[in-house]
Amino acid sequence: MKNDRSQTEDFTGPLKRLLAAIVVIALLGVFVLWRIDSPRVERFRAQVVDHVLPSFEWAMVPVTAGVNLLRDFQSYQALHAQNQELKRELQTMKKWKEAAVQLSQENARLLDLNKVRLDPRLTFITGVVMADSGSPFRQSVVLNIGSRDGILDGWAAMDGLGLVGRISGVGRRTARVLLLTDPSSRIPVTVPSSGQSGLLIGDNTRTPTLDFLDSPDIVRPGDRVVTSGDGHVFPAGLLVGEVAIDPGGRMRVRLAADYERLEFLRVLRHHGQERIVDPGQLVLPEVLPEPDSPLELGQREQVQGDSDD
Amino acid sequence: MTEITLTRLWLMRALFAVIVLVVLLFNLLPLTTAPRFWAGPDLIMSLAFAWVLRRPEYVPLPIVAGLLFLADLVLGRPPGLYAALTLIAFENLRARAPQLRDMAFTVEWLSVSAMIVAIMLGYRLLLALFMVPEAAPALWLIQLLATVATYPLVVALTRFGFGLRKAQLGEVNALGQRQ
Repeated sequence: MKNDRSQTEDFTGPLKRLLAAIVVIALLGVFVLWRIDSPRVERFRAQVVDHVLPSFEWAMVPVTAGVNLLRDFQSYQALHAQNQELKRELQTMKKWKEAAVQLSQENARLLDLNKVRLDPRLTFITGVVMADSGSPFRQSVVLNIGSRDGILDGWAAMDGLGLVGRISGVGRRTARVLLLTDPSSRIPVTVPSSGQSGLLIGDNTRTPTLDFLDSPDIVRPGDRVVTSGDGHVFPAGLLVGEVAIDPGGRMRVRLAADYERLEFLRVLRHHGQERIVDPGQLVLPEVLPEPDSPLELGQREQVQGDSDD
Repeated sequence: MTEITLTRLWLMRALFAVIVLVVLLFNLLPLTTAPRFWAGPDLIMSLAFAWVLRRPEYVPLPIVAGLLFLADLVLGRPPGLYAALTLIAFENLRARAPQLRDMAFTVEWLSVSAMIVAIMLGYRLLLALFMVPEAAPALWLIQLLATVATYPLVVALTRFGFGLRKAQLGEVNALGQRQ
């Protein structure tokens, strides 16, 4: 009996080693395939996440809620101080609210005067954040809306206030949002007060860097940063944040969205901007002049110029 | 008797898979969505190492490979590379388990630490070789140190929480093989 087993051990030992080698080579093969043909493997990844995460949801939702409840409970200790602070802030807010109401009325009047039409196609779908990236090296969240809700890659995701990221990877029931803070996030932005446009580059910190500005000298801390819509991926004019300068002198953007707790995100439907492709055509008279003599041509032009006046 | 040990074998295998899935789940909880300045230990790796050094028959290669690949996919790493490196170290430790069994825990801790350092270094080197952009090395260093530092805790949990201890000399494992 014992002999039998040691024999099977001798027999299965090399087989197991062979199996291990095959598995390792297969895994390395997947990595190389990912490096060569990234979209295909990423689509596979999106499908796996699409199957795994919704089946985790029953466990994740209560645990997340429980931990958040605990945290909120801890914050009761600071309740009194917080209350005082809130009251003070409320006073300031009232002042601002008054100013905002006046400004919005003025804005409405001005828009009416100018007959400005805001983009009517910019509607949104709201999704709940199911999971984050799960690793400190990547910054992304997974939403519970996917291709069955019509989500497409590249659409912008915002919280109530500012831009949060863009859709990168869509499954049937889930979609991944690559946050602006991810090291691979690059978004074309513009600083409206000085008309400078540049790139917002995530680097795994809370404040992504602002780079490739034409003349960084005229951009000041506190300036608003919005998306520029260059590259025709994003709608233009979404609020991103405000310019700040870090101690090292690099230009960064303090994001307007509240990254501490992303719960609900709006995904903006965006069907591409209309492009102006032709350079503009000559406006010709209805009857073309016959090229008879240069003199007549000159006269005709003169006549036309008179009639224009 | 064989029925019971076989049931126990598969129960323990299922337990390992469940623990790894729970670790994954806690990683994925959307508690902090702002970038962090620290990184936690790679618990899946240290769990796999702690189990394979104690009861290799509870962590068969296909299950571990599947779980590692799933972790790669779900955690957004380049798929396959990290799993392959961890698996190489894992099989290496499995082969060395009989020698490490008689040694003190310090020796085990040292050899596992060496494996973890080798995995992380190899991973970073290969990523650089394939020109995959990666996060700051400071975070990696923190994760490396955290994984090495928490390994004794993982072992303690494995030993006293799940009752996995090293096989004694001449003991017969669940498959009936002499250790």
